Amino acid sequence: MPIERGLQYLRQMQRVTLKNLPMPLEKTLKWQQAHPDETKIKAIMSRKGPISRSALPPYGIDPIQAEGRLPWILTVPKEPYYEGVEEARQYLPISLRTLQRLIDLRRINPEKPIDLPVLCNTKLFSIQPDQRQFGLQLTDEGADLFSTPINLEIQWVASELAIAAIERCGGVLTTRYFDPISLSALIDAKKFFERGEPIPRCDTPPINAVESYTDPKQRGYLANPDSIREERQRLAQKYGYKLPDPSKFSSLFRLKKDPRQIFYGLEPGWLVNLKDQTILKPTDAKFQTFYHS
Amino acid sequence: MLRSLSLVKILRNCSLQSIRYFESSTQSSSFSPESSANPIPQQLPLIVSRQLEYPHTRYPPLQAWLETLGQKRDDKLGIVDLHPSIWQTSPRLDILYENIEWQKTYKKIDWAYTPPHHEYPSMRGKPWPQKGTGRARHKSKFDPQWKGGYKVHGPKGPTSFFYVLPKEKRVEGLCTALTVKLHQNDVHFVDSLDLPTHQPTYLQELAEDRFWGPSVLFVDDTDIMPHNIMFASAKTEGFTLMPVYGLNVYSILKHTTLVLTIRALNKIEKKLLHALHSCDNPKDQPAPPDEP
Repeated sequence: MPIERGLQYLRQMQRVTLKNLPMPLEKTLKWQQAHPDETKIKAIMSRKGPISRSALPPYGIDPIQAEGRLPWILTVPKEPYYEGVEEARQYLPISLRTLQRLIDLRRINPEKPIDLPVLCNTKLFSIQPDQRQFGLQLTDEGADLFSTPINLEIQWVASELAIAAIERCGGVLTTRYFDPISLSALIDAKKFFERGEPIPRCDTPPINAVESYTDPKQRGYLANPDSIREERQRLAQKYGYKLPDPSKFSSLFRLKKDPRQIFYGLEPGWLVNLKDQTILKPTDAKFQTFYHS
Repeated sequence: MLRSLSLVKILRNCSLQSIRYFESSTQSSSFSPESSANPIPQQLPLIVSRQLEYPHTRYPPLQAWLETLGQKRDDKLGIVDLHPSIWQTSPRLDILYENIEWQKTYKKIDWAYTPPHHEYPSMRGKPWPQKGTGRARHKSKFDPQWKGGYKVHGPKGPTSFFYVLPKEKRVEGLCTALTVKLHQNDVHFVDSLDLPTHQPTYLQELAEDRFWGPSVLFVDDTDIMPHNIMFASAKTEGFTLMPVYGLNVYSILKHTTLVLTIRALNKIEKKLLHALHSCDNPKDQPAPPDEP
């Protein structure tokens, strides 16, 4: 009952006096728009000013404070579709078709593990680490044509079909992350060795990439090998092929890199001397702990 | 009045017939006023029920204590019935605001007047020639840009702010003012405004003992008041006497307490109920029921 509640409030609240009464309802926006002020009408009907010249600034800007120009914060354009472009990673595509072609033309040896330096030595790809390019990614064009077992190490895989195509032939796929410094060493290995720097140790992937590199579905290098085996069987069931026997693989197929290792057979911290055909290894304990951690 | 209100609530639940058993010699509908110097009669309560016109369909009548000014001790003489249409309306503070605005502005006349161009002295005559003197060129000494010159669109003559608030709003305003006062314990009903002495201290101490605020409004039905209260209220600041025809929302809210006599209450209720329950046009309306 509204009257009862109002009277209850009356009993509890202060005495109603001449100064306690509320403002009238006529000053609401609706009433003010219906009864405009005389000075306001005069300002609108004036013969000069931005209103009469149809030159009002956008809504929300005071024509007097703006002094005829837009405020600075509106002159600079906004392009929100480019948000996060500084942190986005790029991967150059390589299809199964090009891989098969390279193998058929004997530019790549399928009996050895196929790595990023192997693919870069074909001079088909120009990877630029300073342009936020982090390696190569596998596309599924030519999945029906692919028919050689290989040990492939790639930086990104977009589709399950590509993984299935490789594993159907009896191959092995891993996704591997390389940070820009180790990438520059891998792209042109000879140039890197000529510089005379020790082999860098590879950094862990960034936080937004850790999830994919620990995912067995992406065959990440940090994933559990048991779960990878499960996923291989699952994919085989899904796409309807039979996984070949793992004992038939050659020992080369089982070669895998340490998460800190860049080159097959070379450890981080070693210095390669091309002229004298020697390798220098650090003996100090602190270097060994650093490079082996 | 807190004590009285809780008792009032208890009594509201009891039936009226049980209280009527204790009724004294007075009749149920009317009440005989006391003379000025007599003490309170032995038989109490004096008033128990009042017949109300246009009884409200939903709410029962409200009840309040009947007090005296004849003695300093706060003896209650009985219970008074109040009509809920007047004393239990919804507390519309915006209608109170409108009434007060009306009361302030309908008498207002703005006397500001600035004479225009044609009411100024001679407009002919350049103050100095057009060229030759190093000063600005002017045509007359009384242009608006001059000191002492005319004003083009200034206030013109007496403007009145008179308007008449609709009758329904004025009636509603009085009813809400009375409910507001009642439900905030600021209304007191009194048998009559007869005092034993004319000394102002008597009335002041009485009001202080009973916690009646700094300003009290005494309302009687006629404009001829007893001599004692006239003298006492003239000497005290904040006490005003008023007949029923002078009752208005501004005065009700300005004074902290409101003291009504039974005769005033009867008159007020009659007038307000007649106004609330009549739907004639102002032209067709007959003469008001009572003379002021």
